Amino acid sequence: MAGLSEVTKSEASEPHEPDSGFDPKSMRKTKPGLKRLVLTVSVLISFILGFPLLWKSVEIYRAPLPFREIDHLSAELDSIPLLFPCHFQAIFIGFNSGADDLESSLLDRMTKLTSQTPQCGTCGTNYTVSVVLDSGSHCLESRSSKSSCPWRCGALSAVDFGGGDDDEAVDEALESVLGGCSGLGSGGKVYSVVVVKRDEDVRAVVGKYRHAWLSGRVSETAAVSRAAEIFVKVFVNGGKEEASIHGEFMPVGADGKIVISFNLLNSDPRDGIYDWDFHSIEDILLAPVIEALKPVANISVESQVLYHTPKSSFSYWDDKWGSFIFSTDDLPFFVNSNEWHLDTSIAAGGRSKILHFVVYVPSAKECPLLLQPKDGEVSKTNGFISPMWGGVIVWNPEECGKVSESKHPVRHPVSQQDLQKVIEVFMGQFRQLFGLKSDNLYVGSSGITNLLASERGFTIWELDVLSRQHTCFNLRSCATTLGSLSRLVQSLPRMIIMDEIGKQVEYSLEAAKLAQNNASLGVYDSSAVASRQARSLAEDAFFHPSIMSVSYYSFEHCFAVYSPFFLPVAMHVLLAALREWRRYKQENKKYLAWKTKSKQNILNSPH
Amino acid sequence: MNAYSFDSMAVPALFLFLGLTHFTNCVVASGSHSSSSSETTMHTNNWAVLVCTSRFWFNYRHMANTLSLYRTVKRLGIPDERIILMLADDMACNARNKYPAQVFNNENHKLNLYGDNVEVDYRGYEVTVENFLRVLTGRHEMAVPRSKRLLSDEGSHILLYMTGHGGDEFLKFQDSEELQSHDLADAVKQMKEKRRFKELLIMVDTCQAATLFSQLQSPGVLASGSSMKGENSYSHHLDSDVGVSVVDRFTYYTLVFFERLNMYDNASLSSLFKSYNPSLLMSTAYYRTDLYQRHLEEVPVTNFFGSVMETIHTDSAYKALSRKTSGRADIKISPDKSINSDLNPTADSEISDPVNVAKPVDQQCPFTRFMGSFNEKVEKLEDVDSLVNYSLFMMLPLLLLSTWFIQQKLGGPSSSDYEKLQAELSDLQTKYSQLLAAHQETCKELEVKNSQDIEPLSTKETTDGEAQKERL
Repeated sequence: MAGLSEVTKSEASEPHEPDSGFDPKSMRKTKPGLKRLVLTVSVLISFILGFPLLWKSVEIYRAPLPFREIDHLSAELDSIPLLFPCHFQAIFIGFNSGADDLESSLLDRMTKLTSQTPQCGTCGTNYTVSVVLDSGSHCLESRSSKSSCPWRCGALSAVDFGGGDDDEAVDEALESVLGGCSGLGSGGKVYSVVVVKRDEDVRAVVGKYRHAWLSGRVSETAAVSRAAEIFVKVFVNGGKEEASIHGEFMPVGADGKIVISFNLLNSDPRDGIYDWDFHSIEDILLAPVIEALKPVANISVESQVLYHTPKSSFSYWDDKWGSFIFSTDDLPFFVNSNEWHLDTSIAAGGRSKILHFVVYVPSAKECPLLLQPKDGEVSKTNGFISPMWGGVIVWNPEECGKVSESKHPVRHPVSQQDLQKVIEVFMGQFRQLFGLKSDNLYVGSSGITNLLASERGFTIWELDVLSRQHTCFNLRSCATTLGSLSRLVQSLPRMIIMDEIGKQVEYSLEAAKLAQNNASLGVYDSSAVASRQARSLAEDAFFHPSIMSVSYYSFEHCFAVYSPFFLPVAMHVLLAALREWRRYKQENKKYLAWKTKSKQNILNSPH
Repeated sequence: MNAYSFDSMAVPALFLFLGLTHFTNCVVASGSHSSSSSETTMHTNNWAVLVCTSRFWFNYRHMANTLSLYRTVKRLGIPDERIILMLADDMACNARNKYPAQVFNNENHKLNLYGDNVEVDYRGYEVTVENFLRVLTGRHEMAVPRSKRLLSDEGSHILLYMTGHGGDEFLKFQDSEELQSHDLADAVKQMKEKRRFKELLIMVDTCQAATLFSQLQSPGVLASGSSMKGENSYSHHLDSDVGVSVVDRFTYYTLVFFERLNMYDNASLSSLFKSYNPSLLMSTAYYRTDLYQRHLEEVPVTNFFGSVMETIHTDSAYKALSRKTSGRADIKISPDKSINSDLNPTADSEISDPVNVAKPVDQQCPFTRFMGSFNEKVEKLEDVDSLVNYSLFMMLPLLLLSTWFIQQKLGGPSSSDYEKLQAELSDLQTKYSQLLAAHQETCKELEVKNSQDIEPLSTKETTDGEAQKERL
């Protein structure tokens, strides 16, 4: 190298005196030059300074996600299932024992009926019970009832429980007396059972609101056990055997929406075209249902009439019923998905749930058509459901079976009465999809309880049950979705995370927190709404289109892309700097050696 | 891409002689961990994603394969709205198609696959790796309609069928990009994570199809491929009217199996897998079952290739409107379709091929063999990731060493050279000083002599030692 020889030259041309003890191999008289070292090091430093810049430029933008909060939420939901506070009130009329005794025995019965493992979406053991004894003239209240709403003595004396047939009237009367009480107290709803001792057969009725009544010749222990059963099995569990809601019975889309698509299928329009006035049904019959379910789901309705839609399996003629019979074994093959173009909705977004309800008008060749759920019986409803899909109702028109003589198909509007029947079956199916029974009876271990039906499709206490269960389901779903997202994000360190995703996660967590708070306060509706929002936002974040595995790459990939550009040059710069540093050190040592030597010489010279 | 070739090219004469009967689907080239729990949920619906990944007229058979599968699953009950059909090209409307708007998978032309009601969801240039992965993972733009989305849930069984040109751990899309095995595994992992399926059957008809499944980790996944690693998948026969091969062997024999079934049948998956005869396929059909929990003998093929709707009878209407409580009705749930697994594997169908004259091509250059054995060794290693990381770190010292070496050989003097030169220099200096000393001595002597002899000479001698010496 030219530089090196220069150095040697400059060293060689140094003026020097023949000095005793100067060893040119290990000493030098001048200070070694810093120029070369400074040059190489400055290049190296500029490289090093440039590195963060490069790093920054190839850095992938990742919005900070609250991983800890997500873990916290899932851990919280896993460890303690969401339990709602419930308040129960039992009013005994015409009994004369201690209110506190009754309360303790009622509590006893209820703990026996409550399942040991607290299930999500129920009250678990998080409930209070109060007992009121009303004998017309004076009232006894159990001690715990002080906190909940005060009882007006003799308030129910005007209510006639003996009406028998007129349950609706009793229900309304009870609501007017007890209704004001609901929502008071320490938060949450108050469910009440009124037990009336009368000289008649025992009847138990659960009303449309949050109360039930029991009247007749009933002993104290029987009354207590039945009241406990109504509280636990009906009001808390919704009259179902198992309390938890399964995914199959959660027919709400991930964005909290349901699109109910009503389809009238004329299997063969040559035999007559049936048409319906759907607007009137929607306005009169469906609007209250949609309104009632608002906390649980955002429901929209659409309808269509389709023609030429044969079913895909065949029925057989049965003389006994005088009709065509379609057996249960063939039900899975009833829906002809290739000919039935049901999913024509453009209103439904990608993550909404569409529930198809099909009213099937059989062709004249196989009319009337009956479904046979089991041998020797025909279906009362002539309908069936498919979980998460919807339901089918076979509707046999009065005039079916007659092939019309006219060349042109005759138009038949479906009558209002028929439509009402169809809608009743639909309501049954819709409730079935939500996991609720529709036979208006609850058969418990201690007797049969009548359940009053609401014209809104769902009674208040059923809506409470749905709200609780959906809150629980939504929160769980939100937690698992966010957990999946956080696992995904953490496992792919070079994935771009946009700010939007970060915000969605943040809002989702906030909504989940709100839902949890509302749940603990016993505000069912708003907790259901908040939980729905939390789930929807979590889904939005997880399914954000910017997350695509083809748009991010691994660290190895990054290394492989950038190392050919920088590594060869960087290596040389680094090595040059190292070598210069070593040379400088060596030369410096020589210089120091000479210095010490010369010092010694100076010290020695006077002698 | 120009990177692929037909294996039969090695024997061009024979290849031409055979009349282009046996195309292979190969592209000659070479190419993470987690787990998630599965729950027992009810199987509620079926979905199918059918993908043809290759363009151009000579890949007619890939479109025919996909359309044949489409027809089969539709016939067995999967509705159109639950089938995502991706076709990378439009053979039916190709100018070279002698039968416009028709696609056949057999030279007898009995069945037009492109008949009525074919709903293609992704067509032509829409069939990209990105769109494919978006379909699987569900990450679509807002505007994408429902019919283009895979809206499956935790109760879904999904059939994923892919055909095209592939190679070791990849499947080529559209001649321009490729789906790698880890992309597929990643997408499946994300689907599992979000519970987008209960069970997934991946079926791939391409060369070295088995390699595409090597990275799969998610439970509930069953994978089946037309050929093992290092094997080619061949086309079945040439349609001389259409002018190209119309179906691939693996798909052809799959269709042969399904033609005998209707939606009520419960032939098992194992009978399907056993029906593949390696000598007819000219490759070894592969299926990976280690991620799948159920026994194949007990799983009817209609669990994936068909759709059986779960139905529950509605017992009672909700009589709120007429306000009359009906009498009791007890619950009747339609008994689940009892699925008797019939264990008799269908006999291997000995269908005489019209043009069954091809020889398995097996030539390997030494490099391929070496790479093969190397790959085998690498596969045996359990922790490939850490190996890669280690080797990355090992690269650094290697690079350093090589840079050093290059400098040593080609660059300027090294430090040892420098030291040597320095040593030489100091040697010379000492010599010089010795000489100088000797010279001075002689000079002094001369001076003494001169001063004794001639006076004027003394002024001359001070300048040059050399001259002095010469004179001496």
